Amino acid sequence: MKQLFPAKQVMGFVFSLILTAIALAVYFLDVSFTAGLTILIVTAFVQALLQLIVFMHAGETKDKWSIYGNVYFMIFIALITIFGTLFLFSWDM
Amino acid sequence: MEFFERFAIPHPSPVIYASMVVIALTVIAIIAGLTYFKKWGYLWREWLTTVDHKRIGLMYLISALLMLFRGGVDAIMMRAQLAAPDNKLLDAQHYNEIFTTHGVVMIIFMAMPFIFAFMNYIVPLQIGARDVAFPRLNAISFWLFFMGAMLFNISFVIGGSPDAGWTSYFPLAGNEFSESVGTNYYMIAIQISGLGSLMTGINMITTIMKMRAPGMTMMKMPMFTWATLVANLIIVTVFPVLTVALAMGTMDRLFATNFFTSANGGMDMLWANLFWVWGHPEVYILILPAFGIYSEIISTFSSKNLYGYKSMVASMVIISVLSCLVWAHHFFTMGQGAASNSFFSITTMAIAVPTGVKIFNWLFTMWRGKIRFTVPMLYSIGFIPLFTIGGVTGVMLAMSAADYQYHNTMFLVAHFHNTIIPGVVFAMLAGLTYYWPKMFGFMLNERIGKWTFWLLSIGFVLAFFPMYITGLDGQARRMYTYSEATGFGTLNMISFIGAGIMAIAFALIVYNVYYSIRYSPRDIGSDPWDARTLEWATNTPVPEYNFAISPQVNSIQPFWDAKKKGHVLFPDKLDKIHMPNNSGMPFILCSIFFVWGFSFVFAIWPLVILSTIGIFACLALRSFEKDHGRYISVEEVKETEEKTGGAKL
Amino acid sequence: MKIDHSQPLEYSTGQNNLNIFGFWIFLGAEIMLFATLFTTFFTLEHRTGNGPTGAEIFEITPVLIETILLLTSSFVIGLGIHAMRLGNKKAMITFFSITLLLGLGFLGFEIFEFVHYVHIGAGLQTSAFTASLLTTLGTHGAHVTFGLFWGLSIILQVKKRGLTPETANKSFIFSLYWHFLDVVWIFIFSFIYLKGMM
Repeated sequence: MKQLFPAKQVMGFVFSLILTAIALAVYFLDVSFTAGLTILIVTAFVQALLQLIVFMHAGETKDKWSIYGNVYFMIFIALITIFGTLFLFSWDM
Repeated sequence: MEFFERFAIPHPSPVIYASMVVIALTVIAIIAGLTYFKKWGYLWREWLTTVDHKRIGLMYLISALLMLFRGGVDAIMMRAQLAAPDNKLLDAQHYNEIFTTHGVVMIIFMAMPFIFAFMNYIVPLQIGARDVAFPRLNAISFWLFFMGAMLFNISFVIGGSPDAGWTSYFPLAGNEFSESVGTNYYMIAIQISGLGSLMTGINMITTIMKMRAPGMTMMKMPMFTWATLVANLIIVTVFPVLTVALAMGTMDRLFATNFFTSANGGMDMLWANLFWVWGHPEVYILILPAFGIYSEIISTFSSKNLYGYKSMVASMVIISVLSCLVWAHHFFTMGQGAASNSFFSITTMAIAVPTGVKIFNWLFTMWRGKIRFTVPMLYSIGFIPLFTIGGVTGVMLAMSAADYQYHNTMFLVAHFHNTIIPGVVFAMLAGLTYYWPKMFGFMLNERIGKWTFWLLSIGFVLAFFPMYITGLDGQARRMYTYSEATGFGTLNMISFIGAGIMAIAFALIVYNVYYSIRYSPRDIGSDPWDARTLEWATNTPVPEYNFAISPQVNSIQPFWDAKKKGHVLFPDKLDKIHMPNNSGMPFILCSIFFVWGFSFVFAIWPLVILSTIGIFACLALRSFEKDHGRYISVEEVKETEEKTGGAKL
Repeated sequence: MKIDHSQPLEYSTGQNNLNIFGFWIFLGAEIMLFATLFTTFFTLEHRTGNGPTGAEIFEITPVLIETILLLTSSFVIGLGIHAMRLGNKKAMITFFSITLLLGLGFLGFEIFEFVHYVHIGAGLQTSAFTASLLTTLGTHGAHVTFGLFWGLSIILQVKKRGLTPETANKSFIFSLYWHFLDVVWIFIFSFIYLKGMM
């Protein structure tokens, strides 16, 4: 039975619950918008990395550099799309 | 509108009625022909169900050529209308429909399948693979593209063509200003073929990253393969953006949502924004494979290794990133601030740097080479100065302050045709002539080919250079006429003559195919151009398994080394070959997609639901299917190799 | 077909490797798909027209329950893949079934949430904000729904055919998909709900 619950994944799960709890602080505690957004950005991206590495086994084969490269490239362009659009429509208009 | 009214053409004209008759007659003729010659079985077994990358490539090629003529007719009609001031050949509505379909057909249904044709046919051969990574998915990609194209093309006889421009900006494309189903066709047809493009992107990246012949490291890949890899990376990056934008546009039109409307908080410019987040990288998706083809051709016919291989690769990678950073230069005049305009101005101009690097690399490849002026080489040499002019005017357009003068004028139209025609169309024709012997086993006639090249180049210059002048003088694009007082008449007449010369050139291509089928010699071997890369190391016609033995690669030009330096290309012994089975599923699935799209356009919901169920049923069947492919035995391989003249065993 | 026994089943054939690699590329496209939805949402977030704002309609309880359900399901399917690598078919099927049940629970809550929004006057057609909100959530929800059917068909195949290179490959790819949906939800949870309620 025990071997069905590997420590690494259980730890990963516990950690992701903790991250969720930290993120909830922005709702339950009285934090400023900037501080709140910072907390959310950090917790969300750490959680995403956690899923990627611990649960999705992104780095387990010799293709790991292509896989990471692809994912990071997409995240990079995704952020450019999001912030570029906000730049045009919200911050510079 | 009433249900049945939607199917009628909103602006009928004798031309459209004539087209209906022609379409009906063509369909009847095809059906009758297939029945009379008993070719239904052949069509089904050899083409509709095929998963062979070469056959799929050829089907892309044929579709692209058909669409080239379809879009070309639109172009001639536009130039004819504008040839004289206050011309009455077309009315405003008809003109709107024509420039819209011209743009969509040329970009999505001509240029895209043309590059996919070469990617499909050439890339697996260049990397020494037996097929692409997902042959079945490849067939689905093609049929999705095909059904999307067909759906788009029936619009002008059923329900009316889209008329809001190929960019379909809201609010013009919204229900308020575009009542007919035309824009629904635009949204759905591009959606369907866009799905196919995305799948091709995934397929090609996986193929190139994982299926290269032994010894072919990333930095030993042929330049066309590199270009394909980078272009497909951009496809996978930006096509989802188009998917979402089209879906939201569809919802605005059919479900009364408020993404791009002028009420309830909707924002029309968001459509333009998302469209160009896809649209600008899209032009690099087209031009990079074209660059790849030029690289192959220039290297072959200069009898030299490609100059500056590493900088060629680096510049393409830089272009791929920059291409996603420039989209706002399509709407500098939207009203955003100077900061964002400056940012997008600078990124746009920066693209000229890696592109310039490539231009110089081609020139240095030719420098002191033994140049053979064949037809493909002529196109490549013509491309360099003409494309450079297009690029330089692009830098002019990139300056956001000056853009207020150029925006939406014929100057812009001249610019992008100046990049796309010498850039992409010349490359496609060069590639077509270059790879024709590999595909069909005989060469296209050189003399007719040279005539075609010169007519096309002269026609192109006559057709588009006057637009730079009229554009700077203020002639707006997408206007169906102009008054005599503007003085644009003469220059537009020159454009029309140029367009006519281009039409003759395109007709010559058809004649060349006919002439060459009849008279070209067939004993040309498998390497008629004395080329350098692996695709020429196969037999002609290429057997379905491509290479009887996996080639061993030592450099970026293994075939050249095998011919001149004694490199052993096929060191292994013959073994049985594993190949995928044919399947009718892709064709059936995509036919259901066609029904789905058609019923979506006309909001026939019961049929939408039925066909959606049909699509998922196909997916489920595929999931439960057991298909391990088949083996070709050693004896069979030997037999095929002898028949196709393979002396390499 | 050559089977390489030194690798886990899901990587044991050439085609299996291609499938997994190709699916990673597909996930890259999915990143861009959801990024575009987020782009739209962030642009239209405050354009509420005559409709309600996010702060007015969001409620923390159902959102938190949905989050916990999906996080747990992502963990459980990870256990399922671990069990598969141990060759324990029964445990694997159990874990996969629990995953799908949790997914079903998530979906139930989301449907409830949607009905509630429509009920309080925040339907798809109300404003640019509601359209982008419901489309983003709906796209994620549609992915989960598709995942439920997909997962079910994989469980049936594993049950019938056992752990073969093909079924193991499909299961692994499905797990990637499911984890990815969890990642997307984390971003929805953080930047649509929590940011909206902040």
